[in-house]
Amino acid sequence: MLESQLQALAASAQQRIDAAASPDALEAVRVEVLGRKGALAEVSKGMGKLTPTDRVRIGKLLNSTKTTLESALDARLKSFADAALAARLDAEWLDVTLPAPGTRPGALHPLTRIQQELEDLFTSMGVAVLDGPEVESEYNNFDALNIPPDHPARDMQDTFWLSSGQCLRTHTSPVQVRGMAKLGPPLLMIAPGRVFRNEEVDASHEHTFYQLEGMMVDRNVSIAHMLYFMRTLLKHIFNREVTVRLRPGYFPFVEPGFELDIQCLICNGSGCPVCKQSGWVELLPCGLVHPNVLRMGGIDPDRWGGFAFGLGLTRLVMMRYGIDDIRWLQSGDLRFLRQF
Amino acid sequence: MKFSYNWIREMVDGLDVAPHDLMQLITIKTAECEGVEEAGSHFAKVVAARVLEAEPIPGSHNRKARIDAGPLGERTLVCGASNCRAGLLTAYVPSGTGLEGTHIGKRVVSGIESDGMLASARELGINKDHETIVELDAVTPGESLPRLQPDHLIEVDNKSLTHRPDLWGHHGMAREVSAITGKPLRDPVDMTRIPQGPAPVKIAIEDFTLCPRYSALAFENVTVQASPLWFQHRLQILGLNPINNIVDVTNYVMAELAQPMHAFDAGKLAGDTIFVRNAREGETADALNGETYALTPAALVIADASGPIAIAGVIGGAHSAIGDSTTRLVLESANFHAACVRRTSSRLKLRTDASMRFEKSQDPVNTVRALARAVELLELVSPGIRLVGGLGDLAAPPKPAPVIELHMDWLIRKLGRDIEPAEVQRILEALHFTVEAPAAGVFIVTVPSWRATKDISIKDDLIEEIGRMIGYATITPVAPVTPTEAPADNPRRRFHRQLRQLVTAQGFDEVYNYSFLSEDDARRFSLDPAAHVTVANPISIDQALLRQTLIPGIWKNIQENSKHFDEFRLFEIGYEIHRRADALPEEVPHLAAAVYQKTKEAGPLYEAKRLAECILPGCELRPAGDAAVHEHPARTAGILWRGETVGRLFEFHPNFVEGRAVVVDLNLGRIEAMGSPEKRYQPVRRYPESAFDLSVIGQRRTLAGDVEKLIRGFAGPQLESIRFLRQYEGAPLADGAKSISFRLVVASRDHTLSNEEVTAVRDAIIDGMRREGFDMRV
Repeated sequence: MLESQLQALAASAQQRIDAAASPDALEAVRVEVLGRKGALAEVSKGMGKLTPTDRVRIGKLLNSTKTTLESALDARLKSFADAALAARLDAEWLDVTLPAPGTRPGALHPLTRIQQELEDLFTSMGVAVLDGPEVESEYNNFDALNIPPDHPARDMQDTFWLSSGQCLRTHTSPVQVRGMAKLGPPLLMIAPGRVFRNEEVDASHEHTFYQLEGMMVDRNVSIAHMLYFMRTLLKHIFNREVTVRLRPGYFPFVEPGFELDIQCLICNGSGCPVCKQSGWVELLPCGLVHPNVLRMGGIDPDRWGGFAFGLGLTRLVMMRYGIDDIRWLQSGDLRFLRQF
Repeated sequence: MKFSYNWIREMVDGLDVAPHDLMQLITIKTAECEGVEEAGSHFAKVVAARVLEAEPIPGSHNRKARIDAGPLGERTLVCGASNCRAGLLTAYVPSGTGLEGTHIGKRVVSGIESDGMLASARELGINKDHETIVELDAVTPGESLPRLQPDHLIEVDNKSLTHRPDLWGHHGMAREVSAITGKPLRDPVDMTRIPQGPAPVKIAIEDFTLCPRYSALAFENVTVQASPLWFQHRLQILGLNPINNIVDVTNYVMAELAQPMHAFDAGKLAGDTIFVRNAREGETADALNGETYALTPAALVIADASGPIAIAGVIGGAHSAIGDSTTRLVLESANFHAACVRRTSSRLKLRTDASMRFEKSQDPVNTVRALARAVELLELVSPGIRLVGGLGDLAAPPKPAPVIELHMDWLIRKLGRDIEPAEVQRILEALHFTVEAPAAGVFIVTVPSWRATKDISIKDDLIEEIGRMIGYATITPVAPVTPTEAPADNPRRRFHRQLRQLVTAQGFDEVYNYSFLSEDDARRFSLDPAAHVTVANPISIDQALLRQTLIPGIWKNIQENSKHFDEFRLFEIGYEIHRRADALPEEVPHLAAAVYQKTKEAGPLYEAKRLAECILPGCELRPAGDAAVHEHPARTAGILWRGETVGRLFEFHPNFVEGRAVVVDLNLGRIEAMGSPEKRYQPVRRYPESAFDLSVIGQRRTLAGDVEKLIRGFAGPQLESIRFLRQYEGAPLADGAKSISFRLVVASRDHTLSNEEVTAVRDAIIDGMRREGFDMRV
């Protein structure tokens, strides 16, 4: 009798749980069925009239019914919570394609990029990075580099002279002079920086541009050493093996002096417009340091020797990024600069 | 400098290298070549022809000519030249010939089919004469024009000849080519041409340093006329305009031997002495080019009894120039001091073919050689010319030829490869050095005169001679042995790199501006142009000064970019250049960063301030009472960091920028010198903190920073942090008053603060602030 009553109760409660439309409706079921004054409690009141055997049996049934209904209630409750969460999450949809606010990192100037790249490379090769001023003495810019007054080589570099008799450095080579004084032999240094030439500006000429000077002074420095250093350097700059050649070039601060050409990277030497069909591109002047330069730098040329080179950073930047007009570099135009 | 391939070949017997290959060899072994071009290729087809008849074409200035072109047969053509007449021997350009880029074909002119053309000297590239067709004699119709052949010009970069006075003439280059190819060199000079006997011209040299040698010959029975066409063509293709036979000879010898010469009309010289002396104060010279030059005593002149007849080494005088009436001449072949010629030529802004050569230090031995060659050529181009007397020649005692001791082991060490002594000797001798070998592995090398003036004096100079001839490609690269040491640090570069990283991360784009400033811009920014470092020879007036501040450049960047963008951030790291007496200018690194917004609203001042705080944590801004003309007077501040003023922050004055632009300008030199503050670990506090808010009533322009500082002072050691919350103006506050609110956090390092302790701190602040005259909202 109690047994069938319990079963009917459980079945109807399960039906109501399944049919509940809200957590509140479920709570009502819980109170009516499982509450202190609920249906199950009513049933348990009749337990006292039962035989001990029946009491045990019905008691178990009562408990299992209670447990079943409780877990059914919980499960149903959880499904409401899950649905509510899912609904909330769905409502929180955002358009991820909208632009993000805030500023973006700015661009480093392409000349800065190349300079930093080269500084890192040279530093890794054990080379010190030195600086020199934009305004130089005539002595450092010319005389100490074996270019005395009235030497025709002064014509090779149209110079901005200052009212003081000083000049805007025409090359980074005066840092050789400063480097020898500062470091003494043996030394291995580079000096990137801004240089000036008094010439009209057009797409390929600037009065302000950037060079990188390099100098090594040690015992027994040979052309073979210089070639090795240059090849290593260029391999890293261009990120591939390069074929180089030396040919005579005249620069008063080196003897012998060279122009270093690289085999054209566009046509690999077979000839193209970039190399003017020659297969070679003139890249940098270099040479063994002239004994007069060592001497003026306080270094004994009988005991020490060296090589030096000058790399056109501006030209390298233009080659690297395919920039066709040198004037962009100092234009301050963000339409250009933001590309880097 | 252009070199005629044919001319070189005349002096290198059996030269069998094609022009383009020769150019490559010269580039690799001697000097940089810029290219090869054809010259006079049409002479392969142009032939002599005789005009059989020439009749005017009615209604036209042209003539119809029938010509005999020898084996080519008779041709009919139309010719516009006035000298086209029956019997004339002239140059015929057959149709199908390319003439200086123009294709000559059959075409109908004035109703007549014209087959080819008769050519003027200009059309043939011989000289500038375009009035008439060329007139020939002693030629057979159908034959090529005498000695006029297709040629190639090899152009060599002048800069790479700076140290080689000998390569400013064809013979010098032929000498190189002979050494490179191993073919024998022919010397065009026949020294037996120099006459013996007393010199009719006296020479007086005042200073042998400025004029180490002056040689001269006199001639009579001179005929001044045009040079032979082939002779003119040779000069013309090199860019030396043919003038007349006498002047052409001087140019020809210069082009061949690198020795500049000058011919004077002897009939126009006063006295019998040529003086080489410094110009006198106030002296002027009328030059060949029609100009009159005012001279200073620094210039050297050639003078006769009446005054200057030439500016030494630069240009001849007008009065004594060779003209049609010249019958006697004095031919000068001299040597002048390179620097003196260069100074005079730069001062007069007059660069001539002569000055370009002299400034490279020419060989004094060459003067008489050049005269010998000129004698031969003058006889060729001025038939009947006669020498008068012997050679006039005055010279400083010749300098001994430099002798260099060359050790094989040293040479090998410098080259970085082995080389046999025999090869060294062969190379040096091919380049006309005299080589003796007193002991094994040692050479005593004597330098030839034409390499000794400036080019070669020490053993290092010989490395190049050997190296270029063996070919640098034969040297295998070898790794240098370098000490394994960390390179010297460059803290400045490291600092600037960190800054660039930081500033770009904040959204700023890097610009590079020029170091120059215009006087206008200096004045625009109320800077005194006279206080700047000034350029003595600026390209333009815009670049007359060196910048003392980066701000004008940044201002231009803002102006330009505001045309394209409503908002941007940019910065530059560059050097201010400040004048210093008797020393190089002081170059101070600065960072200038700008934020621009087109808006008229509050503007980006606090964004700029944030950048300053990112760079200088804990820096402070103090309103500046001394706003400059470009600065917004109510929005300008000094930037203080660790007690020092290290920069400035300002908004551009509306007179300067439309919209709002705020600039941070930092003196990186000063900041770098201050070093970075040392960092020490502090134990992390373990006891909980308490927070409360305070509002202070101040005036509208009360500085929140000042208030904060006062609160800090009154709060004592238990203050952990103080943070600005907001400020407020309006009801219920009195007009002109504002309330500034802060959140304070207090705590102790050794216990949890009780409510009483927190309240005590709060009360101390409130009391203190009230004593300072501030109302508090509590």
